[in-house]
Amino acid sequence: MKKEIRALLKMRAAAIAKEPEQKSGNSDSYEIIKFTLASENYGVESVFVREVCPLRDFTPLPGVPSFILGIINVRGQILPVVDLKKFFNLPEKGSGELNRVIIIRDEQMEFGILADTVIGTKVIYREEVLPVPPTITGIGEEYLNGVTKESLIVLNAEKLLSDKTIVVNEIVTQ
Amino acid sequence: MLKNMKIGLRLGLSFSFILVFMIAIILVSLNQIKVSQTMFDRIIKINNVRLQLANNMIEQVREVSINLRNILLLKESSKTLELRNKIDSIRNQYDGDFNKFERLITANDTMSFVLIAKVKSSQEASRLLNNKVVDLAMAVKYNEAMIVMNDQAGKAVSIWIKDLDNLISHNVDRGTLLYLEAEKAQVSARSSMFILGTVSIALAILISIFLTLSITRPLNISLKASDMIASKDLTKDLSTFEKRRDEFGAMMQSFNRMVETLREQIQEILNGVNVIASTSSEILASTTQIASGSAETAAAISETTTTVEEVRQAAQLSSQKAKNLSDNAHHVAQVSQAGQKAVDETVEGMNRIREQMDVIAQTVVRLSEQSQSIGGIIASVTDIADQSNLLAVNAAIEAARAGEQGKGFAVVAQEIRNLAEQSKQSTTQVRNILNDVQKATSAAVLATEQGNKAVEAGVKQSVQAGEAIRILTESSGEAVQVSTQIVASSQQQLVGMDQIGTAMHNINQAGMETAASMTQAEDSVKNLHELGQKLKELVEQFKM
Repeated sequence: MKKEIRALLKMRAAAIAKEPEQKSGNSDSYEIIKFTLASENYGVESVFVREVCPLRDFTPLPGVPSFILGIINVRGQILPVVDLKKFFNLPEKGSGELNRVIIIRDEQMEFGILADTVIGTKVIYREEVLPVPPTITGIGEEYLNGVTKESLIVLNAEKLLSDKTIVVNEIVTQ
Repeated sequence: MLKNMKIGLRLGLSFSFILVFMIAIILVSLNQIKVSQTMFDRIIKINNVRLQLANNMIEQVREVSINLRNILLLKESSKTLELRNKIDSIRNQYDGDFNKFERLITANDTMSFVLIAKVKSSQEASRLLNNKVVDLAMAVKYNEAMIVMNDQAGKAVSIWIKDLDNLISHNVDRGTLLYLEAEKAQVSARSSMFILGTVSIALAILISIFLTLSITRPLNISLKASDMIASKDLTKDLSTFEKRRDEFGAMMQSFNRMVETLREQIQEILNGVNVIASTSSEILASTTQIASGSAETAAAISETTTTVEEVRQAAQLSSQKAKNLSDNAHHVAQVSQAGQKAVDETVEGMNRIREQMDVIAQTVVRLSEQSQSIGGIIASVTDIADQSNLLAVNAAIEAARAGEQGKGFAVVAQEIRNLAEQSKQSTTQVRNILNDVQKATSAAVLATEQGNKAVEAGVKQSVQAGEAIRILTESSGEAVQVSTQIVASSQQQLVGMDQIGTAMHNINQAGMETAASMTQAEDSVKNLHELGQKLKELVEQFKM
């Protein structure tokens, strides 16, 4: 058994070790974090991802749009969490207890997006990313980079971070 | 006059008339016969006797003479004495006869007296001479005696005999005279009887003619009347035939009454015959129906007999079946006893199974608890694997951020991630297995629970089965008794069916006999009907 497992692991290691060598010369590839949302696979460029953490305790905020799940405490830093299912008007299924939060950031914005599960990192090529077919409705095209053949929807993290609709700037008058 | 005299009286008168005549004839003839009788009596009883006596006397005289001569011839004193005695006895006889003769002489016969006196005198004379002869002979003077005898005594004796002859001839003459007289009387009687008889015969003929006429005439009339009745003619009134007051008149009246009675009776008979005719028609119809009905009944009885026979066979079959049933019931009783024993053992076995099931349940519960603790361990391992995964992801992110220097670290992160992934898969497998185990244990719990319940139910059911089999045993015992009774009663039933069969056979015979009788009765009623018709015709022949 151990030998078999070891052989398997060795094979995998060899496979993983090979890949970067092949793709290293190809400059139009980039790494994404792959996650699931409402039974569909999504991806986000890892350059915008700060880290991934489990959703343990979150504090719901009053007086915010419904796609704002609440705020979380990540090692002393308070970050808002956006529920993309609500934001994209996706069906509310598939959410489990073991939700993950993917924290994305750029120079101006930093917030977490809620994911059902985080599958891992994946390197994809730009030519693999096809334009969004018209069948996908409900999700604004401006938030997407495209769709791969494996029906992986690649989110445009830059657009999400710069979107003004996510920013809540309201004064609650008493 | 005769018309109004009763026949009895008429006959009486006629016969008494004839009777009187007959009596007269008889009396007259008797008288005549008596007269002639006395005359003949005199001839026979007196004249003939007298003649006899006279002849006797002559004989005796001769005998005396012979004896005298014998004395003289023999010339022996001894003999003389003897002969003398003999002569004396003859003389005595003669005297007796003479006296008788004297007494028989009738008073009107004067001639006889004279002749008798003559005989007497000659007798005395001869007797004296004879005595003289005897005396001389006694004195042994035979010669002298002979002389006396020849000279005197002989003459005297011949005179004597002559006188006696005269007497006899006189008597003969007198007898002839008397006979003539008697004959004359007889002739006169005959003639008188003839006249009387002729007259009476003539009278009797006359009377009989009248009598016959007086009876036959009304008899003819009544004969005519009865002929009319015989010829069935009842129309005439017979009382108008002749008005008479004797028996014939009464007879005619009675004839008349008879005719009236006949008329009434014939009328009634006619009514009756009509009734008989109609009634016999109805009876005929009824008997025909009854005959057909009895035939049907006979057929039905035959069918019933065959049915009874079938029922009897069925009863026999059921008797056999009942016997089989009884045997079966015995067998069932044995089997049910065996079944009770088996059920008792089953109850015991079920109790043992329950104890085993309790042990199994405890074991399964423990297994369930332990698998739950395994689940907790798996959860924590899964958690660890998750966290490792996240750490690997974060490490990958960090490695990507580090650029070229982080490439080796990225490989390590990837390896860690793979390990985390593998451990997660393993935990998932373990969880799956555990889930299966838990499912299996809960199924086992459920099964043990159900098994417990089933065992409980089985115990209950086996107890119930025991109870049922106990009841079954009792019932089968009762069934044995009942089936024995059934066998007995079916046997009785069979016997009864046999009896019914014979009874039905008898009924069948009786029914057939009844049918035959009804046919006979039908014939009889037919005859009766014909008889009624005939009677009707006969009665209707009477004219009224």
